[in-house]
Amino acid sequence: MKKSSQTYTITTLQKKFTAKAILITIMNSLIEKILYHVEKPGRYVGGEHNQIEKDWGSTPLRWCLIFPDIYDIGQTNLGLAMLYQILNAEPDILAERSFAPWIDMEAQLREHDLPLFSLESKKALKEFDILGFTLPYESIYTNVLNILELSGIEAYVSHRTENDPLILGGGQACFNAEPMADFFDAFVIGEGEEVSLEISHLYKAWKANNGSRQELLFQLAKFPGVYVPSLYEVDYLQDGTIEAIRPLRADIPAKITKRIVPVLPPHPEKFLVPNVEIVHDRMSIEIMRGCTRGCRFCHAGMVNRPVRQRSVDQLIPTIKNALKSTGYEEVGLLSLSSSDHTQILELTQQVHENFHDKKLAFGLPSLRIESFSVDLMNELQELKPGGGFTLAPEAATERMRAVINKPLDEEDFYFTVKKIFEHGWRSLKLYYMIGLPTETMEDVEAILEAGIKVKRIGKSILGNSAKVHLGIGTLIPKPHTPFQWLPVESPETIQAKIDYLKAGTRKAGIKMSYNIPDSSLLETWLSRGDRRLGPVIYRAWKNGAKFDAWGERENLPIWREAFESTGVDPDFYAYRERGLDEILPWDHIDIGVKKNFLKQDLQWSLRGRTRPDCRNTCYACGILDAFGETRPDNNISYWGCP
Amino acid sequence: MNDTPIRIRVKYSKSGNLRFLGHIDTQNLFERALRRTELPIRHTQGFNKRIRINLASALPLGFISEAEILDIWLDQPIDTEIIGKKLNEALPDDIKVLEVQMVDNALPSLQASLVSSDYLISIPADPGLETFKNRFQALLTGEKIEIIKRKKTIDLKPMILDYSFQSESPDGDQFFIRLSSSPNANARPDDLLQLLEIDPADCLVKRTKLNFS
Repeated sequence: MKKSSQTYTITTLQKKFTAKAILITIMNSLIEKILYHVEKPGRYVGGEHNQIEKDWGSTPLRWCLIFPDIYDIGQTNLGLAMLYQILNAEPDILAERSFAPWIDMEAQLREHDLPLFSLESKKALKEFDILGFTLPYESIYTNVLNILELSGIEAYVSHRTENDPLILGGGQACFNAEPMADFFDAFVIGEGEEVSLEISHLYKAWKANNGSRQELLFQLAKFPGVYVPSLYEVDYLQDGTIEAIRPLRADIPAKITKRIVPVLPPHPEKFLVPNVEIVHDRMSIEIMRGCTRGCRFCHAGMVNRPVRQRSVDQLIPTIKNALKSTGYEEVGLLSLSSSDHTQILELTQQVHENFHDKKLAFGLPSLRIESFSVDLMNELQELKPGGGFTLAPEAATERMRAVINKPLDEEDFYFTVKKIFEHGWRSLKLYYMIGLPTETMEDVEAILEAGIKVKRIGKSILGNSAKVHLGIGTLIPKPHTPFQWLPVESPETIQAKIDYLKAGTRKAGIKMSYNIPDSSLLETWLSRGDRRLGPVIYRAWKNGAKFDAWGERENLPIWREAFESTGVDPDFYAYRERGLDEILPWDHIDIGVKKNFLKQDLQWSLRGRTRPDCRNTCYACGILDAFGETRPDNNISYWGCP
Repeated sequence: MNDTPIRIRVKYSKSGNLRFLGHIDTQNLFERALRRTELPIRHTQGFNKRIRINLASALPLGFISEAEILDIWLDQPIDTEIIGKKLNEALPDDIKVLEVQMVDNALPSLQASLVSSDYLISIPADPGLETFKNRFQALLTGEKIEIIKRKKTIDLKPMILDYSFQSESPDGDQFFIRLSSSPNANARPDDLLQLLEIDPADCLVKRTKLNFS
């Protein structure tokens, strides 16, 4: 009996081995085991419909595209979807995905000494040639360092070896990525559709020649739209301001001009369809890029010039194919200012005509009050009846609207509000900003008055079911905008304004949402900072700061400690008015819009002088000087410039 | 449009990466896949029109299955073979449609007629078959097998309807168990594994059959 039992154990082991081999073919068995112990494991396994999985061994160039927030936030990013399709369309390139692991998954990875892996092939990130990080906003910087550590890659470029992957960054935050200069080999400035392929070709040629890492960086630095921060040096004056930003070699450019695509490329259609529920789980279609309105607080409006749009003839087949390929039930038609699309009415009519029997919901956010007609409202009512409507006047007095260059006729505004309620939308959300330059209490009081008046209009049409919601944002003067020289308003003043609005809205039965002053401080420091913030970010991360965008994790004390212990003054970046002649940390990044134009725009702003829509009158911002030569015939692709 | 909807019963398997997909997410996945098939799918009435779909039983996270069942409703009859083919084209590789049949629309809901589920559990080398057997027998000798779920004490003993050990299978040692899956008495094999001091993550649990009344 005993003997047979022993034989049996050996057989069991052998059998166990076979069973395990089967498991490995599904996925690395250890990864599989830890997935049982984390919340929403579907975030980490890929396998979505339309996922592209290429053969690892036979594909020479391997990218991992990383969105440094959780899957739930990052997966719907349109930039990521575009790059995924563009890179994977090349036979000799593969592009996989990875995201920041949530806290429970990170703990499991660390406990089991497992590296962070890609969703497609479950390969450790260190095994890829290029890691391409999307940096859409600053509050995910600490997540980047965390992902590097979880991958066994040193945070500081200077500590890495020749065998580490090339670490690239791209996205809207890269127009001033100086605070992250220590941690990235290179940043792509501007639009990535073409340059990502060009970098791939350059990388392959370099790899074939067995070049050194330094050679690769030199080659990249000479490349249009690529910024290699380690090849630039910054000198400072006694007062802490910048004396000069210098390239270390004569053959690399002193200024890095952003990249644009003169014609918007074919839109992605085969979107990945997430298996787990995520934020904004819908299909996004970019109908237009850029904006001609020139709102002075708006970073996106300045850095994404010129305006380019996709025509109705391109968009309808794209939507059709994408719906067929994904099965999505909701579509967002995205742009910075939808109602400014020259064919917007035709687009909504055609969408209605083509898709009304499919039981879909269409969203058309970012509507401008003055270009928003009753005809368009009729169409929208068909596309997405019920629910809420959003408008963003941003300021409530005519004077303040002139300062921010978002003029709006009061009569037009209240007419639109009336029509919205008359069309049956029961809830209206209005976005306003506080902390704007030259703002007085009178301007803040006007926000409350506007809210009350809108509520009254709603009530007269829909009775008590009419809801008004004020969304109050605080101005952070962003790089590359006319307000870039201005300080941020003090937290005490902001708090007083919020308190006033809170009391008033409560009394009037209006819902209000806002950011506490402290919560925008991190964004202020990191967006307006320079490369001396590198050690601050590193220390904050070392001391546990991550997922800084998640309100529930109060990381501010960690950040304050990090500033203190590294001897960097945060107020220098937040509350100091910068001189018009000062060299700003991002001056070597050329967005096509001239600094002199921004300066003039600031001066006009303070005098209350507006610059109406530049589609009609060119104010020579510089974008045509920079890119006019690439401008196609208007029949091929519409540009907003006159 | 046909007033009486056509009720279609689908049997499918779930494995690989998709074993880590929860119940609601699986339901959403089918909704989108059904939309991709462009079959004449019946929608629910009302303001938010959704696809009418009904899954027999939630498969716990991490389990694989070769016997999941769901019902969908169509506006017009379609050849079941075509439905199966279109669904398989629209579904990710880790879900495979195995059988499609038209059923009487008047039948009670799947949940209401589900009685029990069969599971095949791979026994990990640690603790091995013998220890597993001993622990399980010890558990059965007790008057009750109690666990606490959502602050309620549940006795699993009457819910164990059948079991056996399969030591000669090519997949190693396996434990077969039939557990009650009715709305009032629903037992999960992972709860049982935990009572046996085994981490369900160390086992491969496969649902092999759903038994209906």
